[in-house]
Amino acid sequence: MAVCIAVVAKENYPLYIRSVPSENELKFHYTVHTSLDVVEEKVSAVGKVLVDQRELYLGLLYPTEDYKVYGYVTNSKVKFVIVVESSNTSLRDNEIRSMFRKLHNSFTDVMCNPFYNPGDLIQSKAFDSVVSSMMVQAC
Amino acid sequence: MAQCLQSVQEFVQDSFVPMVAVLCSEYAEKVTRKNNLNFSELVRPFCRLTSEGHMRDPNNQIHVVKNLKISVSNVVTEPPHHATTRRLLNEVVSASQPAEGLVTNVITAGDYDLNISATTPWFEAYRENFLQSMPASDHEFLNHYLACMLVVTSHEASPVDQLFKLSQDQHRIQHGSEHAYPKWFIPNTLKYYVLLHDVSEGDEQRAESIYEDIKQRYGTQACYLLKINSRTSTLGPDEQIPDPWSQYLHRNNLQNQVCSLGKCTAASCFCISNLLLSFADDVGRVNSDHPLQLDDPSNVATHMECIDDIKPPGTGPAVDIRKQPCAAPATHGACLTLGDHDRIRLFIQEFTFRGLLPHIEKNIRQLNDQRMSRKGISSSLISATKKWFGGGKVPEKSINELKNTSGLLYPPEAPELQIRKMADLCFLVQHYDLAYSYYHAAKKDFLSDQAMLYAAGALEMAAVSAFLQPGAPRPYPAHYMDTAIQTYRDVCKNMVMAERCALLSAEILKSQAKYSDAATLLIKMTSEDSDLRSALLLEQAAHCFINMRSPMVRKFAFHMILAGHRFSKAGQKRHALRCYCQAMQVYKGKGWSLAEDHINFTIGRQSFTLRQPENAVAAFRHILINDSKQAASQQGAFLREYLYVYKSVSQASTEGVLPQLPLPCIHSFATRVFFGHDRRLAEGEKQAASHVSLDQEYDRELSQQWRELEEQVVAIVNRGVLPAAFQPTLYCLSNQTDNMRFPLAVVEEPIIVEVVFRNPLKVPLILTGLSLLWKFSPKEPGWLLEGVLHLFDPQASQGGLITTEVISEFHMSPEEKKVARLKLLPHQTGELHIRGVVYNLGCLSHFPVVAGSIFSDGLFVRGRQDLEIQGPRLNNTKEEKTSVRHGPDRRLDPIITPPMPLLEVFFINFPTGLLCGEIRKAYVEFVNVSKVPLQGLRVVSKHPEFFTFGSHAAALTPLSPGASENCSAYKTVATGRASASSTLVAPADFGTGADGSRPGVVEIPLPDSTLQPGASVQLPMWLRGPDREGVHEINFLFYYESAEKKVSKMRIVSLHRVLRHTAIICASRSLSVRATACRSNTLPENSEDRNSGMLVFVDVENINTNEAGVREFHIVQVSSSSQHWKLHSCINSVEDKDSKLTSRERGKLCFRATKCRSAEGESFNVQMLSPPQIISATTPCADFFFRRRHPLESKKPPMLGSAGFAPPAGHTAAEHLSNVVCRCSEVDLSIIVLWKAYVVEDNKQLILEGQLHVALQTIGREACSLTQKEEAEEMVLLKFKPDVPPPLAKPSVEQLSQLIKTNLHYPESYDHPFPQKSLCMVPVTLMLSNCSLAEVDVIIDLRHKATSPETLEVHGSFTWLGQTQYKLPLRAQEVRKLRLTACFIHAGVYNLGTPRVFAKLAEQGSMCEASRQSATPALIIINSV
Repeated sequence: MAVCIAVVAKENYPLYIRSVPSENELKFHYTVHTSLDVVEEKVSAVGKVLVDQRELYLGLLYPTEDYKVYGYVTNSKVKFVIVVESSNTSLRDNEIRSMFRKLHNSFTDVMCNPFYNPGDLIQSKAFDSVVSSMMVQAC
Repeated sequence: MAQCLQSVQEFVQDSFVPMVAVLCSEYAEKVTRKNNLNFSELVRPFCRLTSEGHMRDPNNQIHVVKNLKISVSNVVTEPPHHATTRRLLNEVVSASQPAEGLVTNVITAGDYDLNISATTPWFEAYRENFLQSMPASDHEFLNHYLACMLVVTSHEASPVDQLFKLSQDQHRIQHGSEHAYPKWFIPNTLKYYVLLHDVSEGDEQRAESIYEDIKQRYGTQACYLLKINSRTSTLGPDEQIPDPWSQYLHRNNLQNQVCSLGKCTAASCFCISNLLLSFADDVGRVNSDHPLQLDDPSNVATHMECIDDIKPPGTGPAVDIRKQPCAAPATHGACLTLGDHDRIRLFIQEFTFRGLLPHIEKNIRQLNDQRMSRKGISSSLISATKKWFGGGKVPEKSINELKNTSGLLYPPEAPELQIRKMADLCFLVQHYDLAYSYYHAAKKDFLSDQAMLYAAGALEMAAVSAFLQPGAPRPYPAHYMDTAIQTYRDVCKNMVMAERCALLSAEILKSQAKYSDAATLLIKMTSEDSDLRSALLLEQAAHCFINMRSPMVRKFAFHMILAGHRFSKAGQKRHALRCYCQAMQVYKGKGWSLAEDHINFTIGRQSFTLRQPENAVAAFRHILINDSKQAASQQGAFLREYLYVYKSVSQASTEGVLPQLPLPCIHSFATRVFFGHDRRLAEGEKQAASHVSLDQEYDRELSQQWRELEEQVVAIVNRGVLPAAFQPTLYCLSNQTDNMRFPLAVVEEPIIVEVVFRNPLKVPLILTGLSLLWKFSPKEPGWLLEGVLHLFDPQASQGGLITTEVISEFHMSPEEKKVARLKLLPHQTGELHIRGVVYNLGCLSHFPVVAGSIFSDGLFVRGRQDLEIQGPRLNNTKEEKTSVRHGPDRRLDPIITPPMPLLEVFFINFPTGLLCGEIRKAYVEFVNVSKVPLQGLRVVSKHPEFFTFGSHAAALTPLSPGASENCSAYKTVATGRASASSTLVAPADFGTGADGSRPGVVEIPLPDSTLQPGASVQLPMWLRGPDREGVHEINFLFYYESAEKKVSKMRIVSLHRVLRHTAIICASRSLSVRATACRSNTLPENSEDRNSGMLVFVDVENINTNEAGVREFHIVQVSSSSQHWKLHSCINSVEDKDSKLTSRERGKLCFRATKCRSAEGESFNVQMLSPPQIISATTPCADFFFRRRHPLESKKPPMLGSAGFAPPAGHTAAEHLSNVVCRCSEVDLSIIVLWKAYVVEDNKQLILEGQLHVALQTIGREACSLTQKEEAEEMVLLKFKPDVPPPLAKPSVEQLSQLIKTNLHYPESYDHPFPQKSLCMVPVTLMLSNCSLAEVDVIIDLRHKATSPETLEVHGSFTWLGQTQYKLPLRAQEVRKLRLTACFIHAGVYNLGTPRVFAKLAEQGSMCEASRQSATPALIIINSV
């Protein structure tokens, strides 16, 4: 399962970052932030014509020594980043895809909340629990 | 990868240049030493050839050699020590720092604007030194010595012998067994014999002859006579000789640079002394210990490189070197003229073209011939072996593979190496085509032999030469490079080679804009073994990312951080700091607070260790200012670190202004300023006026009310006009008030500033020594005094200009918002500017703090924070509306004015709860606490009916003794019982305007009308409970002015001051009084009053609900007040004179009222129910009465007052009519009911007194003491069309009926002897009186017309005789008697009230036809006798 899940706003500031508590949080912040470059590159690589039919899932952004970073961009340019451990071989592309889909659904729910101010940090219990269900259970 | 100064081609070419060794004789060394240079250094600036050389390749083609560079260096017999190289590189990098004014280019990527230094000179310096310090290895020949220069001078005893000796030395070094290291390219190295001639010393003839001698021995091609030192070393100050050495001798410059940085002067001293020591050692020994083992690689070290080969015979050079550290480094080449420079240049050129190139050409040709001759054999051999052992050999090799890969060594003469050697030679003379083909061939051979190290070398060079081929016949084989790097690194474990390969490859890739590949390559090369290399490569990788077509800003930033980290690990703190700072640009303000904090923290630490504490403070500041998401412990650490750094900064700089502190946050906008003393609110019985205090929240509505009150009183003082410059007095300035003008503060009166602090951290903070910072300019011009003077010691100005209060300790809990009130006390007039706050900031240590022990912690720093308040946004003009402009906010810039009077008001016995209408006497004390007399004391309130200070006409009646002792609020007089006295009073005496203006402003009768400084006056004050129950807030505004009217030159001087008081009164229900007036039907005897009798019924009900507290009410007295009426007598029976009303009881009183003549004043008339009589015409009673009346009067339609005198000319008759009719029933009589209540409170019985007013206006209509709720006023419909004036109602029947009063006079019983006389005649008088002031026509109809059977039955038996219908005109107020006769035929009881009276106004004709007098039954008894 994931070790870090992040939601980044269109303007590239973090809306939500959660990582497994056992690890160094700062490292994940850096990782996620750096991955945005790749996300932008991938998004801009898709021709402007195809923007509408663009696949939201971007696939593996880049591998580091210990982690694999996956990206997903919603149509409103909100980015989801999931970091999984490289050693975790059980996760296939399909699983990652479904994780993103779940995350997106939950994010949509957050957005639908009339009390949520778009652009604010996400502080939703429901979203939290969805994220936790996808995270590595820290022992 | 950053831009370089060199082009790629140049860089790669210069990386591989022909190496030439130098062996000098001792004298030669001495000669060159005059210029502070050794021989190799001497020629180094001229090693790049400017002219073209030519040579022939093996195919006899002419090949042009352009821009060739050779490297001349002293023979070094030891391979460079690894640690030494490393240290050297470290120093090179740390010496190369970005210049202060380095041009940075701005890269805009997305929404990022980054300032990045385009060049990285430290990296280039590193690279150059790295390549130079590469040890020569066996698998390649590029940096092996191709030639050797043997240098002697003409001064030596026998230069020829010396040359021979040097030549032998060279041979020994190359071929002898004791020296393995300096690698030589070809066994028979080219030897070049140089004869140095010192022009200034030597004999030119001798030199020439020696040269001839040498030429004969070694051949013309291999000899050269070099003349240098054309002048003495004394250099004129005006002479400027270009110094081409300076840029080549960085190592020489290194130390000087370091010194100039001022970083380690001590270290450099140590360095020098160390050098001298070690050199002395060296001198003493004769062995060949390498001096580079010295700990300090420095300028001297390089000079000593050559010394080991020269046996030092004396101390000469040592003296030279000893001098050198003192000598300025700029004196290179001091003895060389420009002509000498040219000679050296010519010498190198000659050497290269005549000596080196032919030598290389010859060797290539030889090698090629060898190869060609061997080719036939080897190829046939190989093919034969393949044929014969084809199957068997392969597995053997694969087994060997692992063993041999790196370890395989060819003997020096192996044929495979010859190819490589040939390739290297071709490469060195820029014949890249040929080089590539040879490299390619060699690579194949090496690979087939599984000699991986050799193969990697060949691959690397093949790629490089493919790249350098002119015209690029084939694409650059990047995969060659990748394979080479991988092989070097993974298989051969040779990081140095791998690094060189990567550097080359990255540079080439960069030139082809393959930044991504270059970055990957560079990142791969980072490893744990060398932090410096990793750091530099990561930085270059970062630059690659930013230079990509779509710049990857974040990757750049991230790699910069990684580079910074490695730099700091490598001890390159400056570079680390620079990297972090560049990365910071990306992370700054983008919401990645965790990363930002981390970077800031690192920057802070690095800056601190680099002694840039200002930057460190700034960086730490950033962490603390922003709302960080760090954990509390982390924040605590940040804070402590910040404080520590800050402290060391502030200790370092003792002068100047205090620096700004970031914590705690100040909400400047919420700052409030209060002028005046802290009020003592209560003091025993005394209760001070509430005034204004900082504890009150700002209330817009309330402040508007106060403003209105002040305007009202100021207008009255200024004879009804509000001065144009009027501004309401503000005592408390906040963000709600209008702060456009400078507020006024008074000398010797404190100014309290409330500052709102917020602690954003999760750790507690302590502020100590908290006080305000101010600037003061006294009134005398030109004497401006900066309060900043006392920044460091606020106590210094104690008793001087301004006393500054210091809060010694101010604790703030985590994330707390807290206000601090800081006080200033000005002692001089002038302009004060409050600038900010100054305090010591400290944080709590972990252990629980005992009070007073916190100071032992010591982590307190002094600093300040400014209070900057932005004014409100302006929105008046168009310009202001379209742009964002802010007005000034002057709340912190008070003007200190000369002393003003200051009033304090105390209330004594002021109640908090009252019954409705209750009268209570209290005392007010006015104290002038200033040093200036005070006058014009007034009070204004929205509720003038609530209080009175008594009237001027107070002492009209003698007081009954004991009245005051009785604690009664009223003045009483002992009189006989039931006497009805009346008093005439002018309303003006009670502060009421004759025109009914509101008596809102009341002048307070001060003795002598002034209050001297320090004096106090106690005045009685009466209060009356409001009529409506509930809690009432009553605002008083006391107004006063200074007695000394002085003309001041200052802009605005407030001449008056105000004091506010808000009284809160809880009113509870007492009595409800309803009154009605009826016209009495009886006509009194004396004819004067016959028309004006009236009955007044007063209904009193106890509506108090508090049965336990209030036991009973006594109606003590009923007074009336009217201009026309007076109460006559009480009609009630004598028994219940003392009318008591307990809870829920009700009583009725009836009075007769008569009209009186007096019309020029209010006449008070008293109906006393129990003695003693209360003088209702005097102070409390009359005051309240008048104050009470006015709101009612103002409600009356004004036309009523005037209509009677002047009927409007063209107005409708109907209006006039109704006027007349109304006036007829008008009463205008006010009833004052005075009561006493017996209240039990705390088991004590109290007697409370009070009065209620009822204003009777119309006959017949009930008036009530409780004002009805005026619902109509609360809900007014919005109307858009002007109201149609309501049709003038015809005077109602009821009203008309009031016009005429009828009365039947007849005997009550009449005896008549019916048996004798059947017809009984009774005389009846009908009295008609006109009540109105108009003429009325009356029609009296006596006709006995029964309307119903019942009436017929009742009245049936009597009839009116005589004229039965009259029409009479009645003049105003006329009374008429009409004699009628009634005729009865039976005995019985009859109702005589049958006459119907119709009245109409005389002029109105038929308009108002009739009104019927409601006939009251008038019974007569006819007795039969």
